Amino acid sequence: MSNPVLVSGGSVLCVQDLLSVGPLVPESFRRSGSGVALLVLVNMALSREPAAAAAANSLDSAVKQIQIEGLVVLKIIKHYQEEGQGSEVVQGVLLGLVVDDRLEITNCFPFPQHTEDDADFDEVHYQMEMMRSLRHVNIDHLHVGWYQSTFYGSFVSRALLDSQFSYQHAIEESVVLVYDPIKTAQGSLSLKAYRLTPKLMEICKEKDFSSEGLKKANVGFESMFEEVPIVIRNSHLISVFLWELEDKSTVAEKHELLGLSSGSYLEKSLQMLMDRVDDMSQDIVKYNNYSRSLSKQQQQKHQYIQRRQQENAQRQSRGEPPLPEEDLSKLFKPPQAPPRMDTLLIAGQINTYCQTVKEFTAQNLGKLFMAEALQGHGS
Amino acid sequence: MSRFFATGSDSESEESSSAEEITPKATGAAFNKQNLLLSDDEEDTKRVVRSAKDKRFEELTNLIKTIRNAMKIRDMAKCLEEFEQLCRAFLKSKAIVDKEGVPQFYIRLLADLEDYLNQLWEDKEGKKKMNKNNAKALSTLRQKIRKYNRDFETDIANYKENPEQSAEEEEEKEEAESGSSMDSEDDAEESATAKSFMKKKPAAEAAPEASKFLKGADDESDSGSDDDDEIWGSDSTDSGSESEDNEGNAGSLAVAFLKKAAMDGDRMGDRKKEDRKKRSKKKERAEEEAEEEALEMEGGEWEKVKGGVPLVKEKPKMFAKGTEINTTVVVKKLNEILQARGKKGTDRAAQIELLHALAAISEEHNLGQGISVKIKFNIIASLYDYNPNLATFMKPDMWKKCLDCINELLDILFGNNNIFIGENIAEDSENLAVSEQPFRVRGCILTLVERMDEEFTKIMQNTDPHSQEYVDNLKDEGCVCNIIDRLLQYLESKGSTEEVCRVYLRRIMHTYYKFDYKTHRRSMGIQGESKSEQDQEESEGEDSAVIMDRLCKFIYAKDRTDRIRTCAILCHIYHHALHSRWYQARDLMLMSHLQDNIQHADPPVQILYNRTMVQLGICAFRQGMIKDAHNALLDIQSSGRAKELLGQGLLMRNMQERNAEQEKIEKRRQVPFHMHINLELLECVYLVSAMLLEIPYMAAHEFDARRRMISKQFHHQLRVGERQPLLGPPESMREHVVAASKAMKMGDWRTCHSFIINEKMNSKVWDLFPEAQRVREMLVRKIQEESLRTYLFTYSSVYDSISMETLSEMFQLELPTVHSIISKMIINEELMASLDQPTQTVVMHRTEPTSLQNMALQLAEKLGGLVENNERVFDLKQGVYGGYFNRDSDQRGGYQQRQGYQRGAYQQIISFVHSFTHPLPHSPPPPPSTDFLLFSFLFWVAFISVQLQISILCTSFSSS
Repeated sequence: MSNPVLVSGGSVLCVQDLLSVGPLVPESFRRSGSGVALLVLVNMALSREPAAAAAANSLDSAVKQIQIEGLVVLKIIKHYQEEGQGSEVVQGVLLGLVVDDRLEITNCFPFPQHTEDDADFDEVHYQMEMMRSLRHVNIDHLHVGWYQSTFYGSFVSRALLDSQFSYQHAIEESVVLVYDPIKTAQGSLSLKAYRLTPKLMEICKEKDFSSEGLKKANVGFESMFEEVPIVIRNSHLISVFLWELEDKSTVAEKHELLGLSSGSYLEKSLQMLMDRVDDMSQDIVKYNNYSRSLSKQQQQKHQYIQRRQQENAQRQSRGEPPLPEEDLSKLFKPPQAPPRMDTLLIAGQINTYCQTVKEFTAQNLGKLFMAEALQGHGS
Repeated sequence: MSRFFATGSDSESEESSSAEEITPKATGAAFNKQNLLLSDDEEDTKRVVRSAKDKRFEELTNLIKTIRNAMKIRDMAKCLEEFEQLCRAFLKSKAIVDKEGVPQFYIRLLADLEDYLNQLWEDKEGKKKMNKNNAKALSTLRQKIRKYNRDFETDIANYKENPEQSAEEEEEKEEAESGSSMDSEDDAEESATAKSFMKKKPAAEAAPEASKFLKGADDESDSGSDDDDEIWGSDSTDSGSESEDNEGNAGSLAVAFLKKAAMDGDRMGDRKKEDRKKRSKKKERAEEEAEEEALEMEGGEWEKVKGGVPLVKEKPKMFAKGTEINTTVVVKKLNEILQARGKKGTDRAAQIELLHALAAISEEHNLGQGISVKIKFNIIASLYDYNPNLATFMKPDMWKKCLDCINELLDILFGNNNIFIGENIAEDSENLAVSEQPFRVRGCILTLVERMDEEFTKIMQNTDPHSQEYVDNLKDEGCVCNIIDRLLQYLESKGSTEEVCRVYLRRIMHTYYKFDYKTHRRSMGIQGESKSEQDQEESEGEDSAVIMDRLCKFIYAKDRTDRIRTCAILCHIYHHALHSRWYQARDLMLMSHLQDNIQHADPPVQILYNRTMVQLGICAFRQGMIKDAHNALLDIQSSGRAKELLGQGLLMRNMQERNAEQEKIEKRRQVPFHMHINLELLECVYLVSAMLLEIPYMAAHEFDARRRMISKQFHHQLRVGERQPLLGPPESMREHVVAASKAMKMGDWRTCHSFIINEKMNSKVWDLFPEAQRVREMLVRKIQEESLRTYLFTYSSVYDSISMETLSEMFQLELPTVHSIISKMIINEELMASLDQPTQTVVMHRTEPTSLQNMALQLAEKLGGLVENNERVFDLKQGVYGGYFNRDSDQRGGYQQRQGYQRGAYQQIISFVHSFTHPLPHSPPPPPSTDFLLFSFLFWVAFISVQLQISILCTSFSSS
């Protein structure tokens, strides 16, 4: 039984680990080729104790831990490398089963890329067919979620929310695996599992995205998604094979993980962050206008009621009957409240960007210190 | 008396009343004196009026009759209906009623009806018997008539006091209505025949025959009766032709007759005398009478009658033979002609002719200059009057006449020093007769000339500018200028300061937009012409600049009205600018502070201001002051309505924005074509200056988030150019500029130059300048310099160092120029570099922020904006409701503290980022490794702060 390890859970940790491992690292990467490198990486990770696993803060949801077969990881990576370019997103279905509070993902299959030609492509039919076929070859055929690639961490979107909601609505234990190919290319596998929080599920069910609804449900951007800890597991045979492979493989010349160049990635992230900030600003302005007009109307309404009351009092003193009640809501139609969900999503997206940039800079900082130390050591 | 004259415009009533006195029989016979005053065509015009009146009154009486019938049978519904119609009919005939007074029969009906209704109302029994419809009608009608009668209260009261008289009149009226036979019985025999004769023919055709007939009748009666009888006999004949029309309203007029009967007595005496005098000249009798009456009736009362009398078309004879023609007579005649002025149906052409004839007569009889000046004034005035509305312009022949007339007038004025003219001289203090005292004539020559100038503008506005006609018309400009010059001389000696100012302004207005080629050539020292020509030129007159200076300075000093001074200043500036005296023009513009309050001026002045600004801008461009040129032209060009703002044409707009009336007004403001500023030149100048400013600026601020456009329009053109899918060689001026801009962006000055200055552009734009060659040279130089700057901005990051010699070769500039440009850039911190003197190279420092740093700055700014917006949301919440944080005051304090702290931290970060990315220009660049270390640390801090901000923001949303 190989040791599962928590991959997600903060790259800061990872960097610290790296620093503490220090000179060991280059050696362990010695033999990794591009494709194999990952396996080695995974393997290397496996060799360490799951210290952080206990810290997994799963909430009171059905799934507290996710165990992914190495095969699934490789399949996802391969799918992106073959079909996704640039900002294009690839998606697929996860198959597996639930054991206690642990979701085991044992296999997956991709969705074909949509093109203009096959507009009449039936996704549902395709999925059913695929699952049936897989069942014939004795593979788990239970639908447990879906995966998606992302471009610089920009995955917090309405589309993701909607489809994850429908998955989770139909299949309670569904998760979405988000795979970041760019980060992975930099040397650290980035695979994260998300679920919608029960609160958000409630809101989505009621379709109430007004600020009151969000307020009632007490949903902030932090409590939209919950991240589920992931454990990658390989069969013993594979582990053995990998150890063997490590001995045989030649030294790799390149170590992406230790690359010091950072400009382009930061720039890109910043650019996207900035776009989001712009959106946010716009939203705030919209909201501001809304609340201003709302308050103005409230004032008018108030005045109107007061006037009414005064007049009624006068009439009463004169012995006349009071004025008939009029429908105030008709007189003062409240302005259309802007939906808050998009703002929430943008905030969530900004948060993710910040996280990634933060992680990235922290790692780079570590790497720089390391490089400095090495330089000092060498000279 | 007064009543008589108040109704005077309708001559029949009065005349008939006078006749009534002589033949005091039935009223119908009274309409007879017309032919005393009216010739045939007069009758024609009269008839229209009368028939309208008759028609109305007939309508009224008919309605009244039906109402009375309805009253008799107690048909209230019918009564109501008819009454409503009656009211409407009465309203329609309001114009006539206003003239005539409310007709008695109408009042009578109103009074009767009211009484009747009241009676019915009282009669409870009867009311019960009425059917529902009738009862309802009764109550409405009662209310209505009550309300309605309020307007006629006094009349009705009068009627009620004296119902018999009115009733009598009514009867009379009915008599008249019943037919003219009664009248004719009482009348002389001729009148009877005349009437029967007339009845056979429709009224309109009848006129000529009637007059023929009249003559016959006259002759006939001539033989038989004495003077009076003859006259009145013929009158009654004439009445035949009119009595038909008069029948309808005879009754209504009866009151007037009665009242006037008394005063006609004294008039009759006069008339008899006249009549005796004039018997021999029957043919011209009508006019003569009018004439004589005007002359003889003193006190102006009789002039009223004249007013309505249109002038005769046939060549009129002014005065009766044998009348002694003297000043008073002529003035009378003149007044009489003028009385018809502005009235409907007055033949304006004939009036002008009459005045000319009068002028000739006065010449003939040597009545002196005074009278002829006065007549000339009036001729010119009526020439201006010839066109009934403001929009139309004078016909060429009228215009010629007008010019001649004014010239003659000026001749007279120059020739006779003893004529005083002025607006302020009252009619009665005029002295027109030849005497010892100087002539005093009312009238203002200046106003006439100003009006002439305006007419000239109008003619030019209304002529197609591309036709030969326009050129022909433009030739008159010399004439106009000449007149103004003469007037100027005249007024300089005689006029008041104000008048001098006004005439000076006119002179300036004709000078300021003309380029003074003579002076230009003289200053250029072109020796092309022969000596004699030059001499002649020099003797021709002073420089326009000198003239402008003199006139304007006078106005500055003496003028009291703001408008003239404003115009003078603007023209002065324009003139300076036109002649490339940039500094004078600019200083004058700045000193005048016109920019501050020009928006309060009237549109023509604003147009002048716009023209001046444009001219100023173009002048600055010629002088190579690109920035000034751009600034001056920015306002005009950025609106995209340059054409409209300069008064050089109307923009197509939909009718909602401008109705026909406004369009007419705007059309009147247009500047005549020969004063236009070439719009293409204007736009080209603007675009080229924008290009020279904008391209280096764009290159310098490529990464600046807060980069602002200098010229929106230029950017628009660039975008249009970019949108083109296929770029051919440039065709239009704009395309040329866009192509040039693209070349300049790459620092390719040669291409840029070839796009800006080539055959096409020369013919379109540059050759329009008086000093085209100099402008082109300036332009080339500017292009070279700005290209160099652009090149350095764009490509400095590629170089470690660059030799100035290479640069000077590349851009064909002398080494010192290159040196100065680069030095300037270094001083302004536009270029992070230093000059290495011994090797003559520029060493780049490479301290410009990297794109990442730029981005970080941008982000910081955006976050600032975000925080600000967010705070606004908070303010609103706290201000209005106290909502969110009021629930817990501790929390609120905590929040504010926290917020303060955060903002402080945020500001610090921003300033830190700034200080980091903008190091001192000459400090050595920090080593890359520390740079990066600091930078990532910075990010870490920044993002934590960002996160905090955002978290606050989101809690605010979720909890709001």
